[in-house]
This record gives sequence, structure tokens and C-alpha cells, in this order.
Amino acid sequence: MIATQPNIQVAGFRLRSVAGMWFRHALVFRRTWWTAMTWYLIEPGAALLAIGLGVGQLVNEVEGVPYAQFVTPGVIVGSAMFHSIFECAWGSFFRIQKGAYETVLTAPVTVREIAMGDISWAMSRSIITALSIGAVAAALGWIDSIYGLGIILAAVLVGMQFGSMGLIFAAVSTNPHTLSLSFTIVATPLYFFSGSFFPISVLPDWIEPFVWAAPLTPAVHLARGFVNAQLDLTHLLAAVYMIGLTALLFPIAAYLMRRRLVK
Amino acid sequence: MITDCTDPGPGVTEPVISASGITKTFGELTAVDGVSFKVHRGETYGLLGPNGAGKTTTMRLLSALSPLTAGSLTVAGLDVTSQGRQVRDVLGVVTQQDGLDTDLNPKDNLIIYGILAGLDYSTAVRRADAVLQFFDLTDRAKDEIDYLSGGMKRRLCIARAFMTNPRVIVLDEPTTGLDPHGRSRVWEELQTLKEAGVTVLMSTHYMEEAAALCDRVAIMHHGKILDEGTPEELVIRHAGSEVAIVRVSNGVRRDVVSWIENAGFDFRVSGTTITVTSGADGRPDLAGLNGVSVTYRPSNLEDVFLSVAGRGLVDE
Repeated sequence: MIATQPNIQVAGFRLRSVAGMWFRHALVFRRTWWTAMTWYLIEPGAALLAIGLGVGQLVNEVEGVPYAQFVTPGVIVGSAMFHSIFECAWGSFFRIQKGAYETVLTAPVTVREIAMGDISWAMSRSIITALSIGAVAAALGWIDSIYGLGIILAAVLVGMQFGSMGLIFAAVSTNPHTLSLSFTIVATPLYFFSGSFFPISVLPDWIEPFVWAAPLTPAVHLARGFVNAQLDLTHLLAAVYMIGLTALLFPIAAYLMRRRLVK
Repeated sequence: MITDCTDPGPGVTEPVISASGITKTFGELTAVDGVSFKVHRGETYGLLGPNGAGKTTTMRLLSALSPLTAGSLTVAGLDVTSQGRQVRDVLGVVTQQDGLDTDLNPKDNLIIYGILAGLDYSTAVRRADAVLQFFDLTDRAKDEIDYLSGGMKRRLCIARAFMTNPRVIVLDEPTTGLDPHGRSRVWEELQTLKEAGVTVLMSTHYMEEAAALCDRVAIMHHGKILDEGTPEELVIRHAGSEVAIVRVSNGVRRDVVSWIENAGFDFRVSGTTITVTSGADGRPDLAGLNGVSVTYRPSNLEDVFLSVAGRGLVDE
């Protein structure tokens, strides 16, 4: 008889299936991390330096902190968002296309477990991104205190939420071109209009509620709380809002994946 | 040895696979139309038919990869509709597309599959080494998937299905697209597994493959099973012991064809050769046919096909 893992299920998810999918992604990452690292560090590093140092010379304090420190949380969670979407949109799409998920389904694994595994990996990538940029920002003195480690929590929430969104794109796209819409119509506008580079209060009053409802805004707000070491109830509210959005998006992603994979 | 099924386990008298009136429709198309069959323990059962006959859909229904429209289907006593995951716990499945993970090397493909199927990491690694050796892929364990030949990829897929030492394995066209050498390698390995007592359900559109490997064969066409039996039974029942090969020149071909048609024989025209089956015992009596060369050869499954599925059967 062959030794097997314990078969633990939580809410219908076999943990070994989700962990197995995560492990698969981690194995691939181990082979390719050094190219991914350039994306983790060079791009956000450039944004941080150009905007923080460059624009920061022209702008004094914003909301009581130096401009460089003001943009740090937005650049961190914004990059985490791009990476989470990329992992689940492009990564999952090509695994569907190549029939790799068809094979996974021949093992006793469900579509929901595949989706959960992909999103748990998106979360991991989101954390790696946040920590890499966070380290650069901390070295430049733009993160105030040990509270800054709280960006890990923000990264987890960003990974769950935007991973689910990326998976929706993967499940409905029939060719890789439509995947880029996840960047052009979702991620890029969010990156610039979620309170990362200027306070939301400078926008016209009627736009403000929409910006607050947008999915990246609560992440920026939460991360800013940790970076500035100033937390209050609104940050808890932001976290709860993101968990709520994920609870809405994940079942949609799992449903669309199932429609794509099981006929 | 990578597998051992000498212990028959409980419920030895029950069929391992039992399909009753299974039907699958995709919108207007009926891919599988009320198919019934049973596969017994240790048996190799073949679904034989052209592309579009419903073989792949049948195998996907059986692997609980696709929900049934109607009918009932059990594997190892488990109902595929309500116990799909448990069915996949006991099955090894080789799909028609290789479905290899090109981001991982061959060995990691096996390890990840093993973990997803429930093995712990160290067992998965040991097992991967064992199946790589059995399928003669040890040298290529760390290569890029894209550098493997078609035959190697196919063997890797079959190896993957053996990671958990399943007693039942479902193989969808295991040798389609392989060159003769690759095909004979796969046959050898399947033969060894068969001797070890593994129950196999396979599909193929190669007659000689079904004849070489299968204990029983079902002939599928347009989503239905037209007949079922051992390859020998089917040959005798439908093609007689011998078929006639008639060689004609172009000038007389039409006359010869209409003579054969009037005599009531099944036949197939390919170029200047007409293959004629009697559809019964013995060999077709073509004594009344003058002016052409007639030779006889032993019948095979291909002739059965011609006879059962009729002249409209043109594959690829």
C-alpha cells in the first residue's frame, strides 16, 4: 500500500489539493524567480524613486508626511495588485489552454480547489512583491516603524481579491489578447485613482464615493495606516470591505472556471 | 514492478465498470447515445471506432470529468454522478491530449500529480523514480517537456496515471500520433500492466491495437455500441474467416461493383482494390465474377468494422 497524506477537508476543500496546487506554483517560481525579481524590484523601484524623490522635490508634505512616504503604500499595494492579477489571469489562462488543468482534474481534485490553489499562490506573490518594495522603501526611510510589516496583511487581502479577479479574466478569455484588458481597464486606472499619488479629498465631491468603493482604495488606505503607524477603525473597515469583495468574487471565478473546464 | 493487483480485493465478482444506458448530449448533438457495457476485473476492454464515434466522451463520463445526461454508471461500485471524486481516487486516467505541465520537468510533473492524488512528498518522489524507470524515462527526468518526443510524452502520461498504483486505468487513444516504434513500446508496457492484473478500459481507432491488447472489444459508431465481443468472435460473426481482395482495372470497376452490390456483400473500394466480406461464415463466393483477379486473406477487425458500420465509414 502506498503512503498517503491525511485527507483533511475544510468547507469542502481538500487541503492537500489546495496545498498541492500551491506547491506546483512554488516549484515553477523556484525555476523562474530571478526573472520575476526584476519585475518585483526594478519597476516599482523606479516608480518609487521617480515619484518619491523626483516629484517629492516639488511637493512638500501631503497629509502630514513627506510626499515620498505618502506614495509608498500606494506603490506597494498597486504593484501587489498587478502581480496578483498577472499570476491568475495569464498564468491560469495558459494552464487551461495547455490542458494542464484537465490533467489536474483527472486526480481527485475539484475546480474550486484549483481556483483556491491559484489564488493562494497569487497571495504569496503579492506578499513577496510587498516585502521587496517595502524593504527598499524602509531602507530609504519612508516607512516609519515596525508597524510597516502590516503591509503583509494588506498584500494578503490584495492577493485574494485581485487573484479572484484575474481568474475571472482567465476563465472567460478565449485568447490571450483579452487578458490584457485586466491591466488596461482594471489595474492601470485603479493604480492611479485609488489615493496612491494624491489624497482623494482633492477630487470633486461627487467622484469621491466611487473612488472609495473601488477595490484598490481600501488597500491603499490600509497600507498607509501601517506605513504611517496611524491606525483607526477605518482601517478595520477597509479590511472587512476587501474580504467582502473577495467573498463575492471568488465564487464567481470558481463558477466560471468550472464552466470552462467541465463540459 | 510498479504495480501489483494480484490481491483482487473485495467484491471480486462485481464488474469493475458498469455502464447502463449512458447518454451525453451537448446541445443538439448526442455524443453518446444509450451505451451499456460491463468490464470485469483484470480485463482489457477496448472501445473501437472512428473519430467522433463517442469514445472520448464515454471515457470522460467514466472518469467523472463530464456529467452524464442520462443513464447510470459505476466504477468499482462507486456512482460517477454522486461520488465523482471517489471514482477519481481509484482510477488512473490517461486523457487523449497529453496535458503535461510544460513549466515543470517530467519528474516534477509526476510528483505534483502524485501529491494531488494524495501521496505524501517523499512517497511521490520514490514513486516517480519507480515509474520513470518502468517507462524507461529515467534519463529524461529533468529535461524540458518540449524536448521529449511524442512517444516519450505519451509514455510519461501513462506513467503519471500509475503514480498511485491504480487497479483500474482508463486510456484514451494511447498511441494516436505515435510512429510504429513508439507505438510498439507503449504496447509492450500495456501488455506488462495487463499481465499484472490491471483492469484497462482503452479506446483506439487502430484495429490491430485492439486485436493485440483487448480481451473484448465494443465497436462504437455515432454514439452507439454496434456490437461487442472478443476480437475473434467479432471477426467470425461479421467478416467470416476470409475476405476477398478483388483487383480491377478502371474500365470494368463500375460493373464489378454493381455485381458485388447485387450479390449482397459488404465491400470497400480503395483505388483499384475492392475488399469484399461475406458478413457470415467462410469466405465470400465470387465464382460468378469473371475477368478480374481475386485473392483471399484472413479477415481482421478492420473488415468487421467495414461490415458492421457499413460503407459510409470513412475515418480521417
